[in-house]
Amino acid sequence: MKKVIIGDRIVKSVGEGSDKRNILDGVNVEIKEGEFVAVMGPSGSGKSTLMLALSGADRIDGGKVVFNGRDLSSVGENELADIRRTKIGFVFQQPTMLRNLNILDNIILPSIRDNRKNVAKITEKARALMKRTGIAELEKRDITQVSGGQLQRAGLCRALMNSPAIIFGDEPTGALNSKSAQEIMELLGEINTDGTAVMLVTHDAKVAARADRIMFMRDGTIVSDLKLPRYDGTNMNGRMEKVSVKMREVGI
Amino acid sequence: MKRHEQGCLMYNRIIRNDISKSKLITLTTMIFIAAAAMLVSLAAILIVNLSGAIDTLMKRAETPHFLQMHTGEIDTSRLTEFAQKNSSVDKFQVLEFLNIDGAQIKLGDSSLADNVQDNGFSVQSEKFDFLLDLDGSIISVSDGELYVPVHYMNDAKLGDKAVISGKELTIAGFLRDSQMNSMLSSSKRFLVSANDYAEMKSLGNTEYLIEFRLKDLSALGAFEAAYTAAGLEANGPTITFPLFKMLNAISDGMMIGVILLVSVLVVAIAFLCIRFTLLAKIEDDYREIGVMKAIGLRVSDIKKMYIAKYAVIAAAGSITGFALSFLFKGMLLENIRLYMGESDHSSFASLFGMLGVLLIFIAIIAYVSGVLRRFSKISAAEALRFGVSPEKTAGATYLRLSENRLLNTNVFLGIKDVLARKKLYATMLLVLILSSFIMIVPQNLYNTISSKSFIEYMGIGSYDMRIDLQQTDRMPEKAAEIIQRMKSDSSISKYAVLTTKTFRVKAENGIQKSIKVELGDHSVFPIAYSHGRAPAAENEIALSTLNADELGKTTGEHLTLIIDGEEKVFSVSGIYSDITNGGKTAKAVFNDNSANMLWFVICAELANKALVDEKTAEYADRFTFAKVSDIEQFIAQTFGSTIDAVKKASSAAIAVALIISVLVSVLFMKMLVAKDRYSIAVLKALGFRNGDIHAQYMARSIFVLIIGIVLGTLLANTLGEKLAGTVISSFGASTFQFAVNPLAAYVFSPLMLIGSVLIATIIGTSGAGQVKISEHMKE
Repeated sequence: MKKVIIGDRIVKSVGEGSDKRNILDGVNVEIKEGEFVAVMGPSGSGKSTLMLALSGADRIDGGKVVFNGRDLSSVGENELADIRRTKIGFVFQQPTMLRNLNILDNIILPSIRDNRKNVAKITEKARALMKRTGIAELEKRDITQVSGGQLQRAGLCRALMNSPAIIFGDEPTGALNSKSAQEIMELLGEINTDGTAVMLVTHDAKVAARADRIMFMRDGTIVSDLKLPRYDGTNMNGRMEKVSVKMREVGI
Repeated sequence: MKRHEQGCLMYNRIIRNDISKSKLITLTTMIFIAAAAMLVSLAAILIVNLSGAIDTLMKRAETPHFLQMHTGEIDTSRLTEFAQKNSSVDKFQVLEFLNIDGAQIKLGDSSLADNVQDNGFSVQSEKFDFLLDLDGSIISVSDGELYVPVHYMNDAKLGDKAVISGKELTIAGFLRDSQMNSMLSSSKRFLVSANDYAEMKSLGNTEYLIEFRLKDLSALGAFEAAYTAAGLEANGPTITFPLFKMLNAISDGMMIGVILLVSVLVVAIAFLCIRFTLLAKIEDDYREIGVMKAIGLRVSDIKKMYIAKYAVIAAAGSITGFALSFLFKGMLLENIRLYMGESDHSSFASLFGMLGVLLIFIAIIAYVSGVLRRFSKISAAEALRFGVSPEKTAGATYLRLSENRLLNTNVFLGIKDVLARKKLYATMLLVLILSSFIMIVPQNLYNTISSKSFIEYMGIGSYDMRIDLQQTDRMPEKAAEIIQRMKSDSSISKYAVLTTKTFRVKAENGIQKSIKVELGDHSVFPIAYSHGRAPAAENEIALSTLNADELGKTTGEHLTLIIDGEEKVFSVSGIYSDITNGGKTAKAVFNDNSANMLWFVICAELANKALVDEKTAEYADRFTFAKVSDIEQFIAQTFGSTIDAVKKASSAAIAVALIISVLVSVLFMKMLVAKDRYSIAVLKALGFRNGDIHAQYMARSIFVLIIGIVLGTLLANTLGEKLAGTVISSFGASTFQFAVNPLAAYVFSPLMLIGSVLIATIIGTSGAGQVKISEHMKE
């Protein structure tokens, strides 16, 4: 199957001189088309940094990231921005919305940059996505007037607007109650089933257990890579068990 | 190490780090504080010196406590009797003041013809009210010598010849007059010897200065009442000691006022600098502040760290400013020293200057502390969680991206941001309104007074060539000679002769004063009248606006002139603007053969306008005794220096406005980027390019700019025009309208402002590109 992203010996460091320290220390990753990958690891292990590096949101200090066949290190800032906007979707733990736009406007924001003339079409698509995620009636609301779960759905809609090749999620359910978290995961599952690759950073074994593959990180390296059968809505407990065993094994 | 030593070290480190990270803005802030401190210190030093110098001058000159000016008959023995009987009177005297028109006074090469003062001659007083020389001693004057008021120091040189109505005197020195020194005092006293005075007495009108010194100044009120009650001579203004004091203080006082006003402006700019940098710093440090609060540091402890930096900047600025004020004080004290002499207690001055500087220092610290009040509003939890300050941004909900078909997305987001956070942008808007106002008003004023249509305010008709004849003997004969030539000159299509003479006019309260009346046929070159029309009949007179105001007359009312000793009643036919001759003129058509002639003006219109230069040169060559000028030259000569000054002021205003707009825009944008870095990170994560983000900031700037420029221009054309009109009308113009150069006022000025602010925006928002997604998106 075609690979969406290849990370090859990625190095990312902070600090200077004797304080210098690698947050990512030669990480190799591959994500295939339509794959559902979860990344787990203790705080400071480099999970989020890896996600930002793979998505081109942060420059790396060594190795390379190839996205859809293009080496991101050879791509300029502007083109990198274009790739993020048109090929990649993001969902963050905190609702990363512009505070002076309403829900609908926040959702269409990245798509409308290039095609203002198609605003009607874009809005139509956004409404369809909002209906699918169950927030159709909230489009004119201010972002402070809706719940965290609803905001996260809106974030998901926004990420889906440009039909991206992959969606990155950094603890997308981290700030939600279990019911809302459950619903978001259902949605992500559906999106993945439709063919979009998903990469989630999470602390939550229950979230990770839905993935096809779980990478465990510690001190800037991937210490284990656990493959699971494709999730079909059954045997959640068995999958959870496997994840827990692996977590204990690698010491997370 | 003791605890407070540790604290000091920490402050030191924080301050040093912080200042080295923002050298330029720290320096700018310091410069403004230094400028403010310097100005306030100067003002304080000037106040002390001025009041001291006035006291010294008035003590040495023994300024009268009560002065009654009087024209007409005087009964000296009755006055003496009153003075002897009134127990509060210490000394009494009557001085003479020989009023001679400025046109008859020539000091060296310069004439006082255009001078607006009532110039007069006196002898040195014997008892009090002495005229002092520049060393502060009482002058004793010899025959043939003339002492000139310091007011005319620029017009005359020591040793120059002075000619007063034909009588020659030598300028022997300059005098300080504790009564009439001030620019605002409308009279000026020249000093001559008693013999010369006796010779000159027939050349002018005598006024009397009835003067009293009291034993106790506190009895002044009662004395004034007694004088009035006694029904003594009172045909003229009454001036008391406190008023003299105020008159002496007022022109330098106004300079002090202007300095204080400018210092307020400078302090305001310093405050803006501090406000924006401090708010940006608070945004940058938001999370740290949250941490400090969370670990239990008191708000006052946190505030101290921030105040410490500004205390250092303010102290450095204040000390620099105080030092600078010593450098400049000599220059500003020059005028006070010249007019009033040294002050007896100038040593206090520095102390007061220091107090002024201290005031600035305290104001800065108080302001910083005020801005830091928002620390108490920062919630530790929120700061830790979001890292940026929460803001109410729910404004402008009517603007929806989903309904926007018109604007580019970046432009839309920029405009929406401004509308959603109106309060935040208000400061910048205000600065831009003010900037475009102070760019346009002086420019329009310059354009107005330098335009040819401004002639309408000058009380002269529209002609091509003007011949002035004054201060020469046999004027009527010479005028006749010129007219003879004009009659036979076929290139001159028409001409008019206007003779200006002075008469006495009786004002409402019976006081007489002199008035300059231009006689001749005013229908040849008509002028515009703001009310009524030109005088046509023998018993009609037209008044300039300032004269009409002063005499309290309007069209149709009556006015009494004294011609050859006889009262003659005129009716006011019209009122016109005149800003020449101090704005106080009149026009009439009656015949008069008296000899009080001041000057002739012969105006001519040419059949072929192209010949103006040639004809002007020809007449100037032929009639060397007269001043021949084409009308544009005349305007340039009469108003050249004023026009130049306004032009300089307008260029300076444009420069100041641009500098302030750039400074404020840079700082404001820096603050905005600090505030918005979360939103910037969101936009970047979503794939917006740095160019998009810059475009959004540009859109905000341009949007605010357009509103600012439109409002500023509207204000300039309404309030600004009124303001300029008040200034112009004090010169004698009745109605005033800006002559606007639309290209300069509505195209170039706004373009300059837009250009500068956009450059400032680019500089101020350069930090937006450096915002890292990773710093804001990682949890």
